[in-house]
Amino acid sequence: MTRLHRVSIYSSILISIYLLVLFEVLPIPLVDASVAQDILPVVPWWLLVSFGSYSLWSLGWGVFTFRDCPDAYHELLQEINEAKNDLRSRAVTVD
Amino acid sequence: MNPFASTVSLNMQGQYNTPNTHKYSVILPTYNERKNLPIIIWLLAKVFEEHQLAWEVIVVDDASPDGTQEVAIELARVYGEDKILLKPRAGKLGLGTAYIHGLDFCTGDFVIIMDADFSHHPKFIPQFIRLQQAHNLDIVTGTRYRSTSTPYLAEAQPGGVHGWDLKRKLVSRGANFLAATVLNPGVSDLTGSFRLYRLPVLRHIITLTQSKGYVFQMEMMVRARALGYTVGEVPITFVDRIFGESKLGADEVVGYAKGVWQLFKSV
Repeated sequence: MTRLHRVSIYSSILISIYLLVLFEVLPIPLVDASVAQDILPVVPWWLLVSFGSYSLWSLGWGVFTFRDCPDAYHELLQEINEAKNDLRSRAVTVD
Repeated sequence: MNPFASTVSLNMQGQYNTPNTHKYSVILPTYNERKNLPIIIWLLAKVFEEHQLAWEVIVVDDASPDGTQEVAIELARVYGEDKILLKPRAGKLGLGTAYIHGLDFCTGDFVIIMDADFSHHPKFIPQFIRLQQAHNLDIVTGTRYRSTSTPYLAEAQPGGVHGWDLKRKLVSRGANFLAATVLNPGVSDLTGSFRLYRLPVLRHIITLTQSKGYVFQMEMMVRARALGYTVGEVPITFVDRIFGESKLGADEVVGYAKGVWQLFKSV
């Protein structure tokens, strides 16, 4: 089963449960009915905003912790020189 | 077949004081790499000889007009015809087919794929090999985004990038976040192409992949995970564009998003 299929099936199940609860077809056991009716219509927006903030945080943190490696660059340049000299002495065309 | 009676094992006995009797093939697809090829092979040879590993490099050249193939022949003379194999092709036919072509000539039991433009440094190959042996992994991939390896490897240094400005880093993180959210691949660097594969694993995955370009690398990793192959990661330093400029246009971004969607639908 492809990932698309799996995600579609799970999301259809969750969305149908949500709609059933929203239209009071299914009761929620431990919460007061009026409280539930206040909260439920906002749940999708809450999910969207939470996902948005998580994404923003993730991106910001990722860019903040993105490491630079100048040492690797200088080491590489030195190695390139060394390689060129060695190969020239072995009669390989470098530049 | 008795592994101690394989050609590699018999050839190595008495020559190398090493417990590692595997042979590592490096497939290098090249196009106009006349200047870089000798140096990258020098670096590879140095690393493999230092660690006493049996190795070979398969240069798959797509009819470069700048003389890459002549340089490859010179290098074969210096390092040995059995170590540097030049397997040219008639034209610029793409990366995936280059690997498939190279795989036909592999005599090793592990394959390393990498770029020939110094963005991937061969000094990380021994770390890949050590991690692979310690945990019997099928695939080890290099990651630019992590500071430690998964699973744990004591000698791993933090990864990083050189030559990327803030915008490029942001795009890179954004692309990775998108792919990670949509595909949940279990690796931190999905578009990286510095990898060590077990030969049969690479053969299996490559027959299943259909995309082109860097989506091809993503697809190989996603398919490998879906098939249940074990993957480890080692942090690498990525020195980008030591010569020349990197361009990332809007077309590439759209192409990438399309590629991620294709993978979402098909794997």
